Amino acid sequence: MKTAFLNWLDNRTGYRLLIHEALNEPIPGGARWRYVPGSTLTFVFMVQVITGFFLWSAYSPSTLTAWESVYYIQNVMQYGWLVRGIHAFAAQAMVVLMVVHFVQIVWDKAYTAPREVNFWLGLVLMQIVLGLALTGYLLPWDQKGYYATQVATKIAGATPVVGAQLQEMIQGGPTYGHHTLTRFFALHAGVLPASLVLFLGLHVYVFRRHGITTPDPTAPPATFWPGQVMKDAVACFAVFAVVMYFVLKNRGMELSAPADPAEEYPARPEWYFLFLFRFLRFEFIEQYGLAFGAIYLPGLAMAIIALMPILGKAKIGHAFNLVFTAALIAGAGALTAAAMVEDKQDVEFQAKLKFAERDAHRVVELAEREGIPPGGARELMAQDAYTQGPRLFARHCGSCHRYNGHDGMFLPKLRTVMVDHHKKLEPEPATAADLGQFGTRHWMESVLVDYHKTFQPVADSVQTPDETLSDVLKDGINKLNEKKQHFLSGDMASWSESNKAKLQDPANAESYKALVEFVVAQSGRTNLTAGTGHATGVQAPIDEKLAKLGREVFVTGKLANGSLDSCIDCHAMLPVGETELLGSTGTGAPTLTGYAGKEWLTGFLKNPGHVDYYGSEYNIMPAFEATMTEQELALLVDWMVGDYYRSPTHEKHSHGE
Amino acid sequence: MTEQPAPITHASTTHVPTTPPERRGFFAGVVAIVAGTIITLTPLGLGGMFSLDPIRRKRSKFLGADPMGYFAVTKLSELPADGTPVRFTIRADLVDAWNLFKDRTIGSVYLRQIVGAANPVIAFTDVCPHLGCKVNYQTSSKTFYCPCHASSFDLEGDKLNKIPPRGMDGLDAKVDAEGRVWVKYLDFRGAIAEKILS
Repeated sequence: MKTAFLNWLDNRTGYRLLIHEALNEPIPGGARWRYVPGSTLTFVFMVQVITGFFLWSAYSPSTLTAWESVYYIQNVMQYGWLVRGIHAFAAQAMVVLMVVHFVQIVWDKAYTAPREVNFWLGLVLMQIVLGLALTGYLLPWDQKGYYATQVATKIAGATPVVGAQLQEMIQGGPTYGHHTLTRFFALHAGVLPASLVLFLGLHVYVFRRHGITTPDPTAPPATFWPGQVMKDAVACFAVFAVVMYFVLKNRGMELSAPADPAEEYPARPEWYFLFLFRFLRFEFIEQYGLAFGAIYLPGLAMAIIALMPILGKAKIGHAFNLVFTAALIAGAGALTAAAMVEDKQDVEFQAKLKFAERDAHRVVELAEREGIPPGGARELMAQDAYTQGPRLFARHCGSCHRYNGHDGMFLPKLRTVMVDHHKKLEPEPATAADLGQFGTRHWMESVLVDYHKTFQPVADSVQTPDETLSDVLKDGINKLNEKKQHFLSGDMASWSESNKAKLQDPANAESYKALVEFVVAQSGRTNLTAGTGHATGVQAPIDEKLAKLGREVFVTGKLANGSLDSCIDCHAMLPVGETELLGSTGTGAPTLTGYAGKEWLTGFLKNPGHVDYYGSEYNIMPAFEATMTEQELALLVDWMVGDYYRSPTHEKHSHGE
Repeated sequence: MTEQPAPITHASTTHVPTTPPERRGFFAGVVAIVAGTIITLTPLGLGGMFSLDPIRRKRSKFLGADPMGYFAVTKLSELPADGTPVRFTIRADLVDAWNLFKDRTIGSVYLRQIVGAANPVIAFTDVCPHLGCKVNYQTSSKTFYCPCHASSFDLEGDKLNKIPPRGMDGLDAKVDAEGRVWVKYLDFRGAIAEKILS
């Protein structure tokens, strides 16, 4: 019965011959491990087709939905991160295997007659695979892919004569937009895979026609099944295991923040193109223009590779091919290593990378909160204090202040100085207080007992005017110095100096703690514990009883042991929940009603010279009322006082902010 | 391959030249099939699980309803006292995959005021229980009529011909103290006799 059916089937389809052809292909010299790279490439391509079709079913190519749909695949849909991770890491495996396959072919001299055409078909396949890698990289429309791909299309734009047209054609317009994605997607999921199938078919057909190039024709022959199939299957299994290892280790492929042409990103190409990136940075390459380094030279290398079958006819030609291949790989390897080491040591690059990761985590946190508005995920980021605060700080405050030592965006402030006629980067000293801990208990303590240390940057910035300057300028500098001196030798400075010992007296520990508690309670903030305490989620709430004790210290100056000059001698304050003003305004000392809270800080930033703050006579801080919009001020203040959304996993990614 | 049982005492020596390649071939075949199956089925299986996401993970569709699932639609005073059905649009926040669309139209309903009844408002979804077209109210015949396949219903929503599998799908409605009409808007499966949530 079964035999009858199979006979019938074979009569109609000829499947037995097909299976025979497929499995019993003779392998002169027997099965060998060195024949596996080609098979692994075919296997990985199959994995890409499978995972690619599934990803296709959830991907939406437009500038408002590409990142969003990939975010959804990666973070919300079940198994999405796995499928995407396999697709992304298998793509990298494909590039590696392509190099291995190429080296094996050249090493085994498998490109010489009659196999030249198949070698060239292989080179076409190589270009298609690189095209797939390049187009796929852009599709998530994240910062990483966006900026890396910009480089590729700029290179296309550097093509002689038709560059501009070529670039616009690839991009689907004068700049990146919806049509860049639809075109890249059509290439990535349609044109390129179809071409790959076609050329792979030809490649395998021609390969079958000429058979394997065996290193040892005297060894006993075998058939494809089972020996070679087993070796191929084991190799494919190993490749897949490595891919899965990277997928699981990295929990899928990263997705950086949504692409934004206005936001900087420390862009690098994917690691297998890193050598080209590094190569293009050599000054001796750069001087000949982009087309030379990115088009002519790689084109020349490809031309030499294409000529290998012809060169290889001569013994010396084959030797040249081997040396050339080795030189290419060694050169690319060295350049890749150089690029990686340089990036690792590049403080600025690392800081930007860290900040980009912060963005990437944040936007997911926001999207998971209640979904993404129709305008895309970038809208979420634009209105988020945690995202925008550090940027505004770096832009408006960072030239004088620091934030835990950096500019708010993890970037150490550096300046270029000339040392013995050589440029050198050195830290640029701040000229105002570090505000990383502003408004926390720690901040309050340092203002009370370490006033000088806290505001030391102001003292450091006092400079004697250069004699060669005009009198007007000298006058200006002297006046500014005077104000700075006042700030550093004013009432608060001397208060801190004369009361420090009393506050730090162990007998007064409780009173001191109480005073701090009372003042920080005024802000109504929740982030009152500085630095690491915040990062680990340890946010000690206000101790109301202690704060009440502190109020007494604030008003009367009485400590457990001895007494202070009362705070209300200079400061005015309407404590939270009270109706009567303590102290009086207009003394030249800042009013402390709601000190370091939202309202206080907003007013302060708008006009620090107001009588409620430093007073116009001695203020040296610029007013931001005119230079920042209401929205910008609100975002900056909300970030500084810690008033922004935090998901349960927020602390894990907040880098101790 | 002659199957020739060897003398048991010399089994391992006499068969050395012939059986090991055979065994090795079998072993290679098994390894090839097992490894090949695993690496083919893993991506396929994961992809399959991935595409089952819509049924494996329940998600909310509409936001903005009251805790009981009712959406505010109109005021009772907007409904004719004679019980003539009027069509109203339901607005809500729509969750569509990654997007949250605020205040979108999510569907429409017919409302009838029944003066003096315990429940003063009758609500129907205007989605035809046949194949999901929009049912229209025809004033001249005082019937609901579907333009797609001529399903027809009376004012109570009962079917008037054999085309639809069931009557129009009624929805729970309530009127609050301020005279606002609230409707519990839901989607139902079409083309079957039972009224089942989709």
